Amino acid sequence: MKEKRDEELMKLVNKKDRRALEELYDRYIKLIYSFVFKFTNGNAETTKEIVQLVFLKLWTTKSSYHSSKGKFVNWLLTVTRNVCVDYIRKDSIHTQNNQQMNPHLPVEIADPVDEIEKKLTFNEVAAAKSKLSTSQKRLIDLLYWKGFSLTEIAKMENEPVGTVKSRLHQSLKQLKKHLEVEDL
Amino acid sequence: MGRECENLLSFIADELNDNNKRKFEKHLQHCTECAKEYEIMTDAWHSLYLDIEEQKVPESLKAEVMDFVFIEDEKDRKLKSSFNINEWFSQLYRQFSPIAAALIVALMVLTIALSFSNMQLRNEVKESGQENIVPIEVLSTLSLQAADQTEGNINTGGSAVILQQGEAKSLVVQVRDLPRLEGSEVYQVWLLKNGKRKNAGIFKPDESGAGILTYELAQNLQFDQIGITVEPDQYSTEPRGKKIVGSS
Ligand SMILES: [Zn+2]
Repeated sequence: MKEKRDEELMKLVNKKDRRALEELYDRYIKLIYSFVFKFTNGNAETTKEIVQLVFLKLWTTKSSYHSSKGKFVNWLLTVTRNVCVDYIRKDSIHTQNNQQMNPHLPVEIADPVDEIEKKLTFNEVAAAKSKLSTSQKRLIDLLYWKGFSLTEIAKMENEPVGTVKSRLHQSLKQLKKHLEVEDL
Repeated sequence: MGRECENLLSFIADELNDNNKRKFEKHLQHCTECAKEYEIMTDAWHSLYLDIEEQKVPESLKAEVMDFVFIEDEKDRKLKSSFNINEWFSQLYRQFSPIAAALIVALMVLTIALSFSNMQLRNEVKESGQENIVPIEVLSTLSLQAADQTEGNINTGGSAVILQQGEAKSLVVQVRDLPRLEGSEVYQVWLLKNGKRKNAGIFKPDESGAGILTYELAQNLQFDQIGITVEPDQYSTEPRGKKIVGSS
């Protein structure tokens, strides 16, 4: 299992190979856990429930990963984020518990994730994001990390959806630009 | 830019229904402008996850996750295989007279037909872009300002929005230019009604001093003011620190 590529592992998971799912867990749990932890505002109990649902999703999904779909880690986190958003929207809006805080830990993730993201580091994205305007950052946080839709954000900000869309367009473009500058 | 191009951002945020999603995927193959933008946008979108902090994964989690997955999957399969039509018919005819059995079969067919048309109805609702998500309405918006305008934090401020979705109500607080926190300090949001305070949760702003908090409001909860204080740690049940931001 250890020498299998992610794509092969996911194919085995589709065929209900338990050891493949466990190997996937070992490779990516740190990333998935940290992602969900941020999404739930640091609620450890909810994080556990969502992580369980993420792996159930991987185990039962009919869709498989192909390298033509882009990087595996992006595919995996899209699945993860969708489970997060579904979970949060299930019975009401945002039933997140804000009581628990996440302690600030050093930001570096061990193998094998840094092999995949050779260029970008966590600090670089945080730095690039900090260069955006307040309203751009707020939009990204509400959309990406809080799971609100573009239409809902437009209502909250009392703006037309078109304005929110073009702000998102600008925000992502600038983010990309800042990331490229830092790569040099 | 054609009309279809306007769906680019909704496509990236994964907010199109299946029908429009397929349409846009086709559009992407023909529109070079969108294809170019799409590549830039998705790159940036996929880099957003890197804005996380590494967490320590509990040792016990692996067993809990694997148990959950395999038990849920087993349950699901049992449920599916338990409804074996042939077995069901033979049991039915053993237990009832032929006429009663025929009646039960007829009822069963009707039930299946009804639930099928119901399913179709729901699919149509989904296709038309409504999804089965209850729409969110903005009930009210409060503006937030620095509590002490003299301290050079005149830019500090933000807004609080109360949202209603079906039966559920929630509060979204957004503040910018908050003073930097030290050590274990956190910002804490309080809801005020007739001088009584209710804790609505804590948050930490990012490096630029911007912070967002979402809080689920109990149905009967009323308040007319919001205050945000800086607290020495996350365990305050009453404000111990200074008020930094408040609604006017
Ligand atoms: Zn186009």
